[in-house]
Amino acid sequence: MSTLSQNPRGIRQISTFFANYSLLIVFALMCATFAIATPTFLSPSNLFNVLVNNVVLLAIVALGLTIVISSGGIDLSVGVSVDLASMVFVMLLAAGHSGLVAVGAGLGAAILVGLLNAVLITRLKISPFLATLGVLFIGQSTQQLATNGGQPIYLITGTPAHQFDLIARSSFLSVPTPVYVLAACAVVVYLLLHRSVFGRQVVALGVQPGVARYSGIRVGRQLSWVYVAGALLAGVTGILLSSTVKSYVPLSGNAFLLDAIGATFIGTTLSSERRPTVLGTLLGVLMLAAMKNGLLLVGWNFYWQQVGIGVLVFVVLAASFALRRGAH
Amino acid sequence: MRTSEQRIAVSMKGINKRFGSVQALDDANLDIACGTIHGLVGQNGAGKSTIIKVLAGINIPDSGTVEIMGKRVERLSPSVVERHGVHFIHQDRLLVPTATVGEAVFLRHEPKFGPFIRRRLMDRQAAALIKTYFDIELDPGVLVQDLTTAQQKIVQITRALAQKARVLVLDEPTAALVKREVDSLFSVLRRLRDEGIAVIFISHYMQEIEALCDTVTVMRNGTDVGVVSPGETPVDKIIAMMINRDVGEMFPARQTKVGAPVLQITGYGRAGSFNNIDLEVRRGEIVGLTGLLGSGAKEIVRCLFGLQQPDRGTVKLENKLINIGSPMQAVQHGIAMLPEDRRAHGVALGLSVRENVSLASLGRYSQLGFMRRGSERSAVTDFIRELSIKTPGGETLVRNLSGGNQQKVAIAKWLSCHSKVYVLDEPTVAVDVAAKVEIYTLLNRLASEGAAILMLSSDLLELSDFCDRVLVVYRGELVGEFSGDALDSDHLLAASSGAQRNEGVAA
Amino acid sequence: MTTVHSTYSQDEAALEAAPPRVTRRKAIGALAIRLGAVAAFAAILIYLAIAAPGFTLPGNLINIVEQSAILGVMAFGMSMVIIGGGSNVTEGGIDLSIAANMGVCAAVYAKLLMLGYSDAPALGATLMVGIAIGALNAYAVVGLGILPLLATLAVMNIAAGIELTVTQNTVLSVSSRFLDFLSTSSAFGISALAGSLILASIIMIALVHFTSFGLRLYAVGGHPEAARAAGISASRYVMFTYMFSGLCAAISSVLMVSRLSSSTPGSGEMLLSVLAAALLGTVFSRRFVPTIGGTLLSVLFIGCLANGFQLLNVSSYWVNGVQGALILLVVATTSFARKPESGQ
Repeated sequence: MSTLSQNPRGIRQISTFFANYSLLIVFALMCATFAIATPTFLSPSNLFNVLVNNVVLLAIVALGLTIVISSGGIDLSVGVSVDLASMVFVMLLAAGHSGLVAVGAGLGAAILVGLLNAVLITRLKISPFLATLGVLFIGQSTQQLATNGGQPIYLITGTPAHQFDLIARSSFLSVPTPVYVLAACAVVVYLLLHRSVFGRQVVALGVQPGVARYSGIRVGRQLSWVYVAGALLAGVTGILLSSTVKSYVPLSGNAFLLDAIGATFIGTTLSSERRPTVLGTLLGVLMLAAMKNGLLLVGWNFYWQQVGIGVLVFVVLAASFALRRGAH
Repeated sequence: MRTSEQRIAVSMKGINKRFGSVQALDDANLDIACGTIHGLVGQNGAGKSTIIKVLAGINIPDSGTVEIMGKRVERLSPSVVERHGVHFIHQDRLLVPTATVGEAVFLRHEPKFGPFIRRRLMDRQAAALIKTYFDIELDPGVLVQDLTTAQQKIVQITRALAQKARVLVLDEPTAALVKREVDSLFSVLRRLRDEGIAVIFISHYMQEIEALCDTVTVMRNGTDVGVVSPGETPVDKIIAMMINRDVGEMFPARQTKVGAPVLQITGYGRAGSFNNIDLEVRRGEIVGLTGLLGSGAKEIVRCLFGLQQPDRGTVKLENKLINIGSPMQAVQHGIAMLPEDRRAHGVALGLSVRENVSLASLGRYSQLGFMRRGSERSAVTDFIRELSIKTPGGETLVRNLSGGNQQKVAIAKWLSCHSKVYVLDEPTVAVDVAAKVEIYTLLNRLASEGAAILMLSSDLLELSDFCDRVLVVYRGELVGEFSGDALDSDHLLAASSGAQRNEGVAA
Repeated sequence: MTTVHSTYSQDEAALEAAPPRVTRRKAIGALAIRLGAVAAFAAILIYLAIAAPGFTLPGNLINIVEQSAILGVMAFGMSMVIIGGGSNVTEGGIDLSIAANMGVCAAVYAKLLMLGYSDAPALGATLMVGIAIGALNAYAVVGLGILPLLATLAVMNIAAGIELTVTQNTVLSVSSRFLDFLSTSSAFGISALAGSLILASIIMIALVHFTSFGLRLYAVGGHPEAARAAGISASRYVMFTYMFSGLCAAISSVLMVSRLSSSTPGSGEMLLSVLAAALLGTVFSRRFVPTIGGTLLSVLFIGCLANGFQLLNVSSYWVNGVQGALILLVVATTSFARKPESGQ
């Protein structure tokens, strides 16, 4: 039984307001600060650059994680999905297969990772953290063995290179294709999570799995879809990533993991029940990207950027958790 | 039997406590004498849990005084209160599951050699204490999570006794205990009373209060409305003091317009649980099911909801043979289940009323897989009105509703499914008297609108006064069906314990 | 009104029938799993002993212990956090920043030595840095109420960034009297490095398993509300575990610098092994909670794996995969044993 707050109502309302909108407030303040510090921050070419290079890839992975975290779980192996999709995609192209086949196979590899997670979690009843941790370990090993210690595969010229450009460097109405891919993914995930029956069931699973089961929801099946979806989206990122850098660089997927988790959880601060949302995740990604970009433009050492981002994430989390606790 | 020179163990005077706009305690008093078993009764929200928490040092009173053993105590806190000899046996057994019995008994008071625990001594002392007071041999190395509920309660009490408790506060100690364990507990409490310890006994079960307590304080609306002796005051009067209403109104009149059979179970059997069960529930009927722990009654209910599978037997729903392989199939067939642990399995506390109500019937409010918010919202508004669910709105989180209203949301969820059969598992456990009345009224209405209701309960009074028929399971077999005049708690009791077989149905 | 009887009736046989059978079956199952896991570990070790050339040489075994010291001290810190925070890893205690913390401490230590400070102040500063980062974690988790997974994740990023700033992503080679002492001295054939692990193990086992502090720490992790009802300050214990973890990171960093005679970037990669060691260790405990002994055995086992693979000329890239598969195996079986029999 919770004892009611001793704070006067006004203070509680202000605290709740700040707790709910801490993300937006910090984001706005941060952008304002950067805009004042460097004129180039808000220039269209810079914004465009940030969007394409920093936001798209991370956002798609984070969208996948949003679904997973909504279901009450977590997926530490998203990096593996990114990398395996990337690996299969590049290897097939190098072997002379068509772009379509390579993309399909790459996504298929990612789906396999998702299925593995699904089986471990729903059949063997291993907790998501430990199951995906195990898959992460195994995935790392697999990549190291397949590439003899982490040698990247470069395909800068020839037909494969052309395929890459088709994906990464083409544009429609002067908006690069990857941005369209992100938009499509965002719409799909939004509809899936916030507007569909499946999404409702997933959220119920995340909030109280016992009730979900007793209400006739097929827990095993829906959870499996959740992890496959997360892995699939990570796979999309892998293919886009390879297309952008025209190569497969092993173990590069892990860099996405922490930022994606951070972005998703930062996004949960927007909802008063701290549920993951598509909008929140996208904002979280934007914030992280803007932070990196801003610090770069201001001239901060690349390493200090890391610190700055860590501090930023910390502040947002602190505001969200602490203020919400005080408001109760 | 009070002597004039009995010492007062605990004296709380003029306690006031306000939570926001709610006056939880209003000039409440509580006087407990040493060497007595003092009952504390009252509805949820009457203040009995709040005043106990004040004594425990968890809630700080706005005003009032607390004296323990004649000494005025300021700034109460759990450790302060414990030092004065007041120990609490909480309802949710606050024991560390992975601790051993010895560790649980002596946590924070471990016998030590410097900083090191003297483990063998600790275990020996724990076992000895348990043997002395409870006369059972309990291996001190067993983990708490491997103990039965009764054994865990024993560990809790032993812990208090190890610290030389002078006041023992037991909060609903007999939930999930069987009679033999309850009797054993009572004899221990009586022995402690005779040794001069004051026992505060909080319970919803009037029968136990009557059997055990020397004195009873009745709380209502945040204050003590009377201190009576159960020997002199009948239970009806005590209940009347609690709810300020005639107890006869508790069970609404049942209309017995009964229709065709909806649920027909034939030859149901599951190895090791139950065997040869034939059961039928008709439209508009409220059928009770009861049996002891381990009799198989619970397992029958679980099979009906697809959580377990029977080995043989058939289930027919509205004359069609169905297979219930999982909860999802049960829901699809139109079977509603209200599980015993409402908060873990019945309603999602973190979801809103609307999200809960639509949870089992999402298909109704969707098109091509996408939710239609409008139809959902209007349906929920209708349900809130129909069932008189006390909530600020459909978007309120269910955790902010009272227990009775949470149960109503759970029922609304199944109403939304147009369920044909309702299977209820202990529907009114941990629900206070006023809310119980509302739930009975609601079930009554459901039945009169044509639902078939099967109710598993261990509350014989509830079964005999509310249900149309009651089936008794004993050791996996159906040993009796009671209705009409033959339906009363004495017969149910006898049948449940195997003493009497009755196939008859009196008019 | 009729006399109302007790709502419970009783049949002794019916009561005796259900629970003990269930508990006994569960207990046997749990024991079987533990023995099975230990047997699996033993089998692998025996295989290595037979197949890998030189595995069983005393010098090699000491080598394994040495290599395990750095991982071991950190794993002890992590174990303590998990013990105090509860074993539900997603919601309970965890310190993702411990490896990055070690990196920062190593960087600070090396940098101070390079700048000319002598051993004592450099060591002191290093320990303080480790504890400070631990304190930051403590404040975030207990003071601000942030989920440990997220809080330590954020701190990890901060620490990794600070490390890069100090080292500029380069190797800092150093040497000093104390470092020399650590890397070269030995007593009874046991090097200082190996001795550190042994000493740390003894201290940790005594602290966690034989003192009242340890018992209360398990209580805090097992059921914080019950611990608080018993008068234990759960917050203070949890804060202590994070600061202690930071201290372990600092000590590990000193051991690492002495071993490599430098601070190198990339220490963050050890995080996974630290987690693996702490989590694998639960299989050795009757109660399926992390124990110091279990963690130590896991650490040594991981060390044996790495060493054995080296001797067998198996690519070290297999180690990660095997670690992962083992975690899955152990967890799958222990969660199976922990489950209630009611088929939920």
